[in-house]
Amino acid sequence: MRAGQWSAVALALLLCCGGPARAEVQVVQMWTLLSGGDGARMRALIESFNASQQEVRVESTTLKWGEPFYTKVITATVAGAGPDLATIHLSRLPNLAGGGVLRPITTAELASAGLRGSDFLPRQWARSHYEGGAYAVPLDTHPLVLYYNKDLAGKAGLLDAQGRLTTIVGMPALTNAFRAVKEKTGKAGLAMEAAQSTYAIWRLWLSLLAQQGLPVVANGQFAYGPAGERTLAAIAHWFRAGYATAGQDYPASTSQFMAGNAGFMINGVWEVPELVRGTKAGTIGFRYGIAPLPQLYNNASTWADSHGFAIPANAGRPMTPEKTRAVLKFVAYVSTHSFGWAEGGHIPVYRPVAESAAARALMPNAEYAAAAANVVYDPAGWYMGAAGPLEAIASKFLPAPLAGQLTPADALRRFESEAQRLLKKRPPRY
Amino acid sequence: MRGRRSEMLSAMLLLLPFMAAFVLFFLLPALQTLYLSLTESSLTRTSAFVGLANYDTLIHDPSFWSSLGNTFYFSLLTVIPLTALGLVMALLVDHFTKASGWLQGAFFLPYVLPISVMTLIADWMLQPSSGIVNHLLGVQRAWFSDVDWAMPVVAIATVWWTVGFNMLIFIAGLRNIPREQYEAAALDGARGFAVFRYITWPALMPVTITALVLQLIASLKVFGQTYIMTTGGPFNTTRVTLHYMYETAFTQSDAGYAAAVAMAFMFIVVALGLAQALLLRKRKGRA
Repeated sequence: MRAGQWSAVALALLLCCGGPARAEVQVVQMWTLLSGGDGARMRALIESFNASQQEVRVESTTLKWGEPFYTKVITATVAGAGPDLATIHLSRLPNLAGGGVLRPITTAELASAGLRGSDFLPRQWARSHYEGGAYAVPLDTHPLVLYYNKDLAGKAGLLDAQGRLTTIVGMPALTNAFRAVKEKTGKAGLAMEAAQSTYAIWRLWLSLLAQQGLPVVANGQFAYGPAGERTLAAIAHWFRAGYATAGQDYPASTSQFMAGNAGFMINGVWEVPELVRGTKAGTIGFRYGIAPLPQLYNNASTWADSHGFAIPANAGRPMTPEKTRAVLKFVAYVSTHSFGWAEGGHIPVYRPVAESAAARALMPNAEYAAAAANVVYDPAGWYMGAAGPLEAIASKFLPAPLAGQLTPADALRRFESEAQRLLKKRPPRY
Repeated sequence: MRGRRSEMLSAMLLLLPFMAAFVLFFLLPALQTLYLSLTESSLTRTSAFVGLANYDTLIHDPSFWSSLGNTFYFSLLTVIPLTALGLVMALLVDHFTKASGWLQGAFFLPYVLPISVMTLIADWMLQPSSGIVNHLLGVQRAWFSDVDWAMPVVAIATVWWTVGFNMLIFIAGLRNIPREQYEAAALDGARGFAVFRYITWPALMPVTITALVLQLIASLKVFGQTYIMTTGGPFNTTRVTLHYMYETAFTQSDAGYAAAVAMAFMFIVVALGLAQALLLRKRKGRA
């Protein structure tokens, strides 16, 4: 209490007596959709940046993840009332940059902050561009991975002499692994969110289509063909056969795995910190391992998305060069300090960090770092991306066959019928 | 003459605050929506005038029609039960004079809950693994993802939540029935159900019609309950028209089309409300 009062007094003194020096401080307003552990790590980065220098102060506001965040960014930007900086998903770049919501960032501006394109992993750097211009600075990539419970997998005979998962190749091999866990241990083979309106099935389905060289959409048409149905049926089989529990929402599926009640979990890397924390705190009563999503078809493609920093194109309020410099100074700081971000499970994409010895040695990240080379994003399209219109529609229909409510063919037919209008529509300008 | 003019003036003055709010927050936005429905517009930018193209799309849009079907299904499950239960509760309150305050409070209490609290309570009770409903029934049903049960449970939750309002309307109606009619009936030897059938029920008819019409409009306008409890699932089987309009505008950034959905829906609600009122009035005339 005492200390709090003193620091309040100190703060007040600072605020009123900052005098002429304060006039030069550039305040950068940032909006972010990062919450939970990601939110805490981003706050820590902001605090250390603010403490590291006197010229720029970043103030961050966290908004609700998904559609509410993007709706607010879009409407605020159009009204000229958006922030100076926003964290976005790179999968939303065609939607946001194409819709006129973001301001391009020039090579010269990046260079003045000490950032170069060649310093970023090429796939993520390419995904930060729209029609030749850079609209974002990539921060990370977060693919789907295969978590496994070493105790259960060991009982099911799925580990090698070093206690690591033996390589799984092909859909039958993975299905057999789930079945082995179920039969040998009585626990679920797989924990995965599969309730209505969940995204994981869509992400897995996209990955497996990419493994067969098939895009979901090409030239404004659904292009996955019969493989789409076969792949969805193969996923649904895990649930119909009882190796995985149908209808579980996100928290139920993660706690199933964390409580040691499932041999495997397919989920994004963002659950890594919870496993690390739980192991340290002793609340997780098993040894775990993490592998890249296995190659089930012709290649090892894995769905991923990336967070990136973007500058909203606030209408009627062009950014001053001083503000731009301030914004990019912060972005450069986070890039060079993104090792801390990797503790969130994310794979950093700033190469001096990503390729450093420290990052290569960081566990358990090193177990799945190889996935970065195989990541695929949502195909380009204004309707694509995290919490975008197409994903929202897919999340309604793709989980239904898992619970036996629709056949895979029927689910995809309904998905296409509902999504058809999006594909035909002209991309919106905001 | 003078008196009448000043009466008019004060009437106008008294009406002004409402009229200003009505024009500003209802009439103008409604006209704007009508215009928007004739354009191709994103969430924020009104662009090309496209005439009736949005309405043409609407007529051929299976998603719109299925959402309308879901809306009607919800109304079917709620309008009559809500009105009938409201009447029963009002009769109970009226009958048990000593406990009427308590009863009235108990029946009305759910109505004061915000929708977020009501849906949370329903959500807890209907949890597949830990909910009390499954515990009591001895089943393991995921109610909100069950194709057959999702809409009925939303309807049941809605009835529990809003029935208190209809009860109030009926209590007011009951208290308006002159006591002399009951006394006269008692003298003539009317007992029990006959009293209700020949005195209470006919006297309550205007109130019943009002309650039914208000309830129909309220039920057709359902959005929050399904949006929060089922998010329109499983696979859109509980997605109602207003939810479809919301998705079109905010997820798909298609404000022009969403406006067309809104206009078409308003037309349907007004038409149904009018038809119901006319029909019930006619029946009342016959009775």
